[in-house]
Amino acid sequence: MSVIAPKFRLGYFLKSLTDNIFWIIVLFTLVGMPAIMLILFFIDLPVLDGTLLTPFLAFTMIFHPETGVPLLKSLLYSDFFRIAAFPGFGFAALLAAGTIFAERKLLAKLQLRVGPFYCGKFEGILQLMADGLKLISKEIIIPAKADKPIFWAAPILFVATAAAFVSLIPVAPGWVVADLDVGLLAVFAIIGFFPIITILSAWSANSKFPFIGGIRALHQMVSFEIPLILSLLGVVILTGTLNLSKIVESQSNYWFIAFLPIGAIVFFISMLAELERIPFDLPEAESEIVAGWLTEFSGMIYGLVQLGSYLKLYAFAALFVVLFLGGWQGPMVVPPFPAEIITHGIVAGPITIHVPGLPITTQEMLNGTLWFTLKTVAVIFFILIPRGVFPRIRIDMLLSIGWNKLIALAFINIFIALGLLYAGVLGPGGLL
Amino acid sequence: MGTATGIIRALNSGIKHLAVKRFTLRYPEEKLKFVGDGYQYDPTSGVGIAGYKGRHMLFHDKCTGCQLCAIACEGVAEAIAMVKVPEEWKHNKKSIMPQIDYGKCVFCGLCVDACPFYALYMTNDYELSSFSKEALIYTPSQLQVKPEVKQDVDIVIDKRGATHG
Amino acid sequence: MTARLPPGLQLEKVDDRIMTLNVGPQHPGSGHMRLIIKVDGDYIVSCDPDPGYVHRGEEKMAEYRNYITNIPHLERPVIHDSCNILYPYCLGVEELLGLEVSERAKYVRVIASELNRFTYTLYWLAIYGIFLGHSTMFMWPAGDRELAIDLLEKLTGARVTHSYFVPGGVRNDLPANFEDVCLRQINYLEKRLKAYADIFYDNPILIARTEKTGVLSREDAIRLGTTGTVLRASGVDYDVRTKEPYDVYDELDVHTNVLKNGDSYDRSKTPWLDMLESCNIIRQALEKMPKSGSVRVKLKPNPKGGNDEVYKRVESGRGSLGAYIVSRSKPEPYRVKLSVGSFRNLICMPYLLKGEKLGNMPAVYWSLNYWPVEADR
Repeated sequence: MSVIAPKFRLGYFLKSLTDNIFWIIVLFTLVGMPAIMLILFFIDLPVLDGTLLTPFLAFTMIFHPETGVPLLKSLLYSDFFRIAAFPGFGFAALLAAGTIFAERKLLAKLQLRVGPFYCGKFEGILQLMADGLKLISKEIIIPAKADKPIFWAAPILFVATAAAFVSLIPVAPGWVVADLDVGLLAVFAIIGFFPIITILSAWSANSKFPFIGGIRALHQMVSFEIPLILSLLGVVILTGTLNLSKIVESQSNYWFIAFLPIGAIVFFISMLAELERIPFDLPEAESEIVAGWLTEFSGMIYGLVQLGSYLKLYAFAALFVVLFLGGWQGPMVVPPFPAEIITHGIVAGPITIHVPGLPITTQEMLNGTLWFTLKTVAVIFFILIPRGVFPRIRIDMLLSIGWNKLIALAFINIFIALGLLYAGVLGPGGLL
Repeated sequence: MGTATGIIRALNSGIKHLAVKRFTLRYPEEKLKFVGDGYQYDPTSGVGIAGYKGRHMLFHDKCTGCQLCAIACEGVAEAIAMVKVPEEWKHNKKSIMPQIDYGKCVFCGLCVDACPFYALYMTNDYELSSFSKEALIYTPSQLQVKPEVKQDVDIVIDKRGATHG
Repeated sequence: MTARLPPGLQLEKVDDRIMTLNVGPQHPGSGHMRLIIKVDGDYIVSCDPDPGYVHRGEEKMAEYRNYITNIPHLERPVIHDSCNILYPYCLGVEELLGLEVSERAKYVRVIASELNRFTYTLYWLAIYGIFLGHSTMFMWPAGDRELAIDLLEKLTGARVTHSYFVPGGVRNDLPANFEDVCLRQINYLEKRLKAYADIFYDNPILIARTEKTGVLSREDAIRLGTTGTVLRASGVDYDVRTKEPYDVYDELDVHTNVLKNGDSYDRSKTPWLDMLESCNIIRQALEKMPKSGSVRVKLKPNPKGGNDEVYKRVESGRGSLGAYIVSRSKPEPYRVKLSVGSFRNLICMPYLLKGEKLGNMPAVYWSLNYWPVEADR
């Protein structure tokens, strides 16, 4: 859309096209073909029903309608897909990328300016890709006196911990990567791991500003963990279980936020502090200590830290939705799968194709995913708005809020929950 | 309680501003419009005429080579030097005219105020970048050319905010 | 160890607890000047400002230029507020040369001076917001400043360093249709300024961060010789525009904003209230301006003053700005001295920052309305 790009000339375009085709052919012949030969040499093809499963047979099976859909379904319900794509890393990374772009555009609109604008046909929608490519192409500079193994390991640990956190969140009934009976306790354990990673990365950089930033981050994260955990005790009291899927199922009639609003507010504020979002972004205060504990990270390591940060944001928002806003519960808006296709097959004129095992995804799953995504997006919107509205808070104000006011409010919340339970209004065997 | 109402009012104001129009000027697709034709000076009345102080424009049929512009610039930026031109004018016996070095000019307009013959004006042209310092020295024949400016955008204020449109 | 030191040096005992921080010119939290701060844990023990990073010898160079060529030169200390820094110079030279300025020129000068107050104060407010971590308070004033700069561009021909005031009036008259455009943009600017109240001045986090920090009592403000918004935030009712009126300020109705507490919050609020007052002044001036008259006096070439000296004062965005001019019957002035508000308020910095927490340092230091380039000249 921008006229800053050079003008189009047909000769240059054809030249670049033929260049690309040439290099693809060269790479395929010199690298791809030997690799395929090696694989076919050394790996034994499995035997399926008496016939050898050659690649040709595999392709035929995928595209034939009778065997294709069950194959797809088995892939969808496998463990690998769960971890890598749907409720796991892929889904979270997609929402995290969307959050970064939405944050920039939302902040820009609030500040009466355009955000990313030139990097895609429509309002800069490919800006993230451009930023990712830029970060990959940069050199990773490590300070000479830094502790190299920990310096390299810290961002990777950060992303791994954030991904572990993401794996505990249930997105739709039955769709969760790790369905633990002590799910909530596992969440607390993982949250307790983040300050250690922060202080490790700050300490290993061996420089003044990351040191100050790391100490501030440690103070902030540790002092807000206690109100975080206490505010969730109200929910646990009312449901009697620590399993996240069962907590969602017990909100089928009402959402917990209606009866525990104080707990929700305490959890929200502690969440902002754990994520180092404004108004609590002291560890990264730009006007005082250049960039806090992120100062020495450059290139793709910085990209990994940002990815971990935004995965953590998605996971916390999803946890808020699961605990207080009813998870995937919501009225059924997805239309049911037409029954004739299951019994008679797809009819297109004179041809009738029988496709067994057709409803790939159940109606509950689609409906649950839709409501979960809508609620998570709404919570993320409310996390992003304070960035444009509040200034940064000071360290002594932060500590007094975390240790005095929020713990008191969390205890009031617990008493309210206990009162509701013993009065027989809520909880197992209650009125609702 | 005052704290809570203050926070809610701040959030409310922030969310209300999501409906206000964006103010950015998308240069270089949009360029700002200026009043008039550039800063000019009327020696008889002694008052200038309001306009943008951009690149100068020299009228060869009025310049007499009196050097008053170069003398005025001496105390400020020393950007004007008189050079010989290969033209012959009746009112310019020495055939010298000013050349302006835009690497040094501060665009103050005192040279325009100094000219008594209506020969030196300023125009609306501000895009003067070049690839070398020598290209920034504009000879009298280059200063004669009227710049082509395509400026069409102004600040528009309406109910939903101010934009450049 | 007990060797004799050269005169002027002193030995400093290094303490284990005290760390010396160099909040220098290359720091995202300082202007273009250096503060040498000694910190004990989280509390500032002493602060030593080190101005002079951008000293360019403006006053000495002014002795080599005549009265007219000094105009583009003397406006460089504060480029946004250039009309205000030329104002006392022009008033002084007019008295030395015995020039008579027309009424219309005086009104145009008042309008340009108040518009410059907008551009300077909005820039200062933007940087104050970003020092406190409030990115919206950086973008909004920087965007709204464009409205005032657009008006100045239509009037004077340049966005900054306008070179607009000359001894004898102003350089050019108003362009066509200026009154309508000016009124419309000033009304919109006033609406935008009032919107800052909800998001910044009534924001509980800002109030908790800046209230009761850097308190300057009324007696101390008078004793240290402060000026401008710093003085008015400490309870002293002094504004050069009302107490020593120049040009047509005695015919306009100017209301001085005085706040009582003298802490950083009041010092950050006074310039905003002053800006709202400037809107009224511009509207009054546009109404009362005479509709015709020449705005510039035709000068003889190379004007010379007699053996005389003159001192004139004006209220700029930072405080009282004075010019002291000595002339000795030559086209160039013998001495030009600018007495600027920033340099007078500099004394408050070591006085107020002692005993403050380190987190309060940007809030207190920038609220003193200090512009490093002007203080260094």
